[in-house]
Amino acid sequence: MSSLANRPSDRLIAVLDVVLLVAAGIAVLAPVAWMVLSSFKQSYEVTAYPPTIFFQPTLDNYRSLSQTTPFLQFGINSLIVTIGSTALGMLLGAPAAFVVSWTRITWPAIVTLVARMAPGTLFLLPWYVMFRQFDMIGTYSALILTHAVITMPIVIWVLLPFFDNIPRSVFEAAQVDGCNPVRIFWRIALPLVVSGLAVSAILAFVFSWNYFLFALVLSNSDTKTLIAASFNFIGEGSTNWGGLMAAATLIALPPLALSFVVQRWLISGLTLGAVKG
Amino acid sequence: MASIHMQKLVKKYGDLTVIPGIDLQIADHEFVVLVGPSGCGKSTLLRVLAGLETIDGGDLFIGDRKVNTVPPSQRDIAMVFQDYALYPHMTVRQNMAFALEMRGMAGDEIATRVQQAAKLLDIDPYLDRRPKALSGGQRQRVAMGRAIVRDPQVFLFDEPLSNLDAKLRAQVRTEIKALSQTLRTTMVFVTHDQIEAMTMADRIVVMKSGVIQQVGTPEEVYETPANQFVASFIGSPSMNFMPVTVEGERLALSDGHTLPGTADLARRVPEKGSATLGVRPEHLAVVPKDEASLMANVELVEPLGSDTLIHFTVAGTKAIARVEPDRRPRPGDVVPLAPVPGKAHLFETASGAIIH
Ligand SMILES: Nc1ncnc2c1ncn2[C@@H]1O[C@H](COP(=O)(O)OP(=O)(O)OP(=O)(O)O)[C@@H](O)[C@H]1O
Ligand SMILES: [Mg+2]
Repeated sequence: MSSLANRPSDRLIAVLDVVLLVAAGIAVLAPVAWMVLSSFKQSYEVTAYPPTIFFQPTLDNYRSLSQTTPFLQFGINSLIVTIGSTALGMLLGAPAAFVVSWTRITWPAIVTLVARMAPGTLFLLPWYVMFRQFDMIGTYSALILTHAVITMPIVIWVLLPFFDNIPRSVFEAAQVDGCNPVRIFWRIALPLVVSGLAVSAILAFVFSWNYFLFALVLSNSDTKTLIAASFNFIGEGSTNWGGLMAAATLIALPPLALSFVVQRWLISGLTLGAVKG
Repeated sequence: MASIHMQKLVKKYGDLTVIPGIDLQIADHEFVVLVGPSGCGKSTLLRVLAGLETIDGGDLFIGDRKVNTVPPSQRDIAMVFQDYALYPHMTVRQNMAFALEMRGMAGDEIATRVQQAAKLLDIDPYLDRRPKALSGGQRQRVAMGRAIVRDPQVFLFDEPLSNLDAKLRAQVRTEIKALSQTLRTTMVFVTHDQIEAMTMADRIVVMKSGVIQQVGTPEEVYETPANQFVASFIGSPSMNFMPVTVEGERLALSDGHTLPGTADLARRVPEKGSATLGVRPEHLAVVPKDEASLMANVELVEPLGSDTLIHFTVAGTKAIARVEPDRRPRPGDVVPLAPVPGKAHLFETASGAIIH
């Protein structure tokens, strides 16, 4: 009988779950929807109040975007910098995370985290001076290197629990089987954290893609990233809202597409379920 | 193939000294079994041998080589872990081939060896499965297989049979024993199991709190245990112990009852006159009433098929006698028993050391 008595409250919780999920969904998605819709509106309609729900969609914003700006070039710049810095972050971060997990010496990881949390402006001046010295202002290398400061800590901190989750005796068995630490990393540790690698790569990609501060200062007109370039739409006098929203929509596409493609990995990775067993 | 030599070997975990100093010499080709209660440091010692734990004092030699600081990968040992430690992302076949691959062995040679080991351990149907899809016993056999495909200096086994059912355990036990005789590789084997220790070992090392209590052949530790701990640990059911005093020419139990025919034993008891008498259940024989030293009041009878266990209480301590299978006393019956001459032991009351 008690299970029957419980049912109404169970149902209430289920309903509440749905309501909360929908509310959270609306809160998260409304701005995105607004952005996407606005990108298909005429500029004057974007700021209209109350906002128009039904309107004549137009591709004007996208058209003018490709005509007035080297949008494709910016996109390619963004891709180069993001992929480069993600790769660099993985290259440095994955072994670093493994070593931190293996040795239980955590301070290097803490240092990277602090560096990550420090305001970016802190780095700007020294970097500007430094890259000037090396004549690297406006180069992809400078952008990739600086963006690695964003990506590497993400990779380290996402991967750390994945490595920690591997039973130590598995590494020990590998040692006994004749592996040196480098081989253990390649043959045992990395294959066991593939979902972690996917998660960290995506997060690193998204954060690097969206980071504008370094590119604002260290790029030139040829190497400007999309997100840095989109600031041009916020003019001193008037702002081209439609154009900005079209740009924003396009900018948001790659991370979104990426997340969709690896959704399954992302979920299992974020819940750490894939390593067990 | 190599000997192992431990010299004043010390292992600590922080403030906790797990092994306060072990001296042990294991000969080439020898099969040594480590036994002892849970937490006595068996796994720790094995891990020290493997190089997975650092040494806090003393020296360790494998063959002529001092290996104190040699990493596990260069010690040329194979180890079966207590929790298997299989590689989750590899198939059984890959698990077993891995170490050979690391040594750069040719592919067809690897395949042959894996096949042989798989056949021996009865795991060839699972060769292409991942460890996740195996039962505990199957995983354990894969872990064994991963070790035996190699041809190492030393095999280390940490309770490799604990998860197998009785039949399989007996089968793998004989196989390991046979293997040790064909491979002639030095083996160190940790177990809780009496029978494993007695049947497989060339020598048994009995440990307690990280200290070796006795090293000897199975016969030695069984027949002449060094102390009461070893006596109680080796043999199943465990040896019966009774506090005794000397009354005239004989030993007497705490209830005052004197034991006939114990003059020899009584002479060994030191001045103070008290000791612990130890008799194994199988060394208590049913005798005619007038020859009995103990009248056992039967409390419980366990027929095992091959023999029968009689539980009784004597002078306030519980005891067990192992008698012929066709003898089936009932609870409440009185059975006259006497220790088999020459098979009883005396231990010092305080230290537990054997009195010769
Ligand atoms: N990494 C560690 N840190 C601290 N103490 C440890 C560690 N590993 C083992 N110990 C302690 O060392 C002692 C010996 O442990 P060990 O695993 O060697 O026992 P064992 O004889 O193998 O026991 P069992 O038969 O239960 O496997 C135990 O008291 C244990 O708590
Ligand atoms: Mg153990």
